[in-house]
Amino acid sequence: MGTVIAVISGKGGVGKTTTTANLGLGIAMNSKKCAIVDFDIGQRNLDMIIGLENRVVYDMVQVMDGDCTIPQAIIKSKVNENLHFLAASQTKDKSVLTSQKVEKLVKDLKASYDFVILDAPAGIESGFEHTIEFADEAIIVVNPEVSSIRDADRAIGILDAKSQRVKEGHDVQKYLIINRINPAMVQSGEMLKSDDILDILNIKLIGKIPEDKSIIDASNQGRPVVLDKKSEAGAAYIRVANRLCGKDVPFVDVEVTQASGVFKKLAGIFK
Amino acid sequence: MKQRQFSLKVLEVELDNENEFIEFFDTHGLLFKNHLISINGDISDRIKYYLDEMGLKYINNITLPNGKNVKSIDINHQENKVDKKELEILEEKLKSQAIDCRIKLQEAQNIINELEKKSNRELVVLDDMLRSGKEIDIDGDLLLLNRVNSGATIKTTGNLIITQVVEGAVRCNGSFMMLTVSPKANIIFNGVEVDNSLLQDKLNRIELKDNKIYITPVIKKEINWVQ
Repeated sequence: MGTVIAVISGKGGVGKTTTTANLGLGIAMNSKKCAIVDFDIGQRNLDMIIGLENRVVYDMVQVMDGDCTIPQAIIKSKVNENLHFLAASQTKDKSVLTSQKVEKLVKDLKASYDFVILDAPAGIESGFEHTIEFADEAIIVVNPEVSSIRDADRAIGILDAKSQRVKEGHDVQKYLIINRINPAMVQSGEMLKSDDILDILNIKLIGKIPEDKSIIDASNQGRPVVLDKKSEAGAAYIRVANRLCGKDVPFVDVEVTQASGVFKKLAGIFK
Repeated sequence: MKQRQFSLKVLEVELDNENEFIEFFDTHGLLFKNHLISINGDISDRIKYYLDEMGLKYINNITLPNGKNVKSIDINHQENKVDKKELEILEEKLKSQAIDCRIKLQEAQNIINELEKKSNRELVVLDDMLRSGKEIDIDGDLLLLNRVNSGATIKTTGNLIITQVVEGAVRCNGSFMMLTVSPKANIIFNGVEVDNSLLQDKLNRIELKDNKIYITPVIKKEINWVQ
């Protein structure tokens, strides 16, 4: 039995889909079987981010309706054989989802994968509710800005109220990823500090991802940034994926380490 | 020999016009249900049947003992005696008095209920984080030991103490509130908006006295002196 993780944020554009793609690949690099599922029906993006857009034949709605089987609809990644992808339907909308259908799909996937990552749509509408309904854990992605924090706060509130696990009396483990941190802006006080964000949201931090220009290019190329050895964001995503796989990875404070090369060397001298 | 003594009410009737007799009992029959009817005059089968039907007990052509304790009340005579107008006024007076009594009783009951409610009002203690979109409405006092995030709302009819930062909305109608420094809070206390920049200290007491709102520090801000 695998673990089902929903990637949520509340606000749009904070990096849910990028996070899903990178964590999926990062987990697959740990030799774990990982399925990533795009739950953003009608506005699918994940296929492009992982470079599989021209290979989509069947989508998850067809699987749920019984038009095809899961193995038929699953697309294997070109870069890592452990990473499998299930696309959202681009022609339908969120109203096609029902709890029974989602539950069956999630259960079936859970039975054959170590990790199932569900990429939630933005907002807190029915599509979001169906994504979190049968998830065991949730990763909340935020940017260090007030609107993202408030929307994430609301999304966590709904997760705690509507999740099946909570209704059964268990806890849904919640992890926080602070995405797109600009170290210079945090240090000058323009961006929210991680401590303040953790105070407000009160959940466990699993990783901080620095702002990285290479992510845009990586997304356009369809090659997740974890494949880029030089990228700081890629390294940060790999650390998060390793933590999810149970490895003990020390925290790297991306808010300070990204000082310019000269300062780094200077700091090294004084150590 | 078994003996039982009764003093019962007797209605003496002179029977000479059967129709009049029946008419009388049709209207007043119920009043004399527990009376003994003493009828002077001949009783025909029609009257007999009528009286049985009404369930009235009667005796016929018996001279009642004329003792000291026998009081006879002439019904017709008395009815004429009382002035109808006076009676109406009296009745109306009684009615209005009854209504007044009922209103007073209701008012008293209301006061009792309110007092009971106040004394039963328990302090609610919560340690839940109030996330955005959460709204709690409490009839009574609240002690909250956790944060109120931006977009959450708290409403209380009683007093309110929050020990952590408030970034959401607070609506309190009690006699006092205690809040920490909350630069992002939206506070309405008894219908008046409280300027959150006035909450300068670690814990502030906001209270309503003589229609004025007073803000006093409970725990002062610590000042870190240079060591």
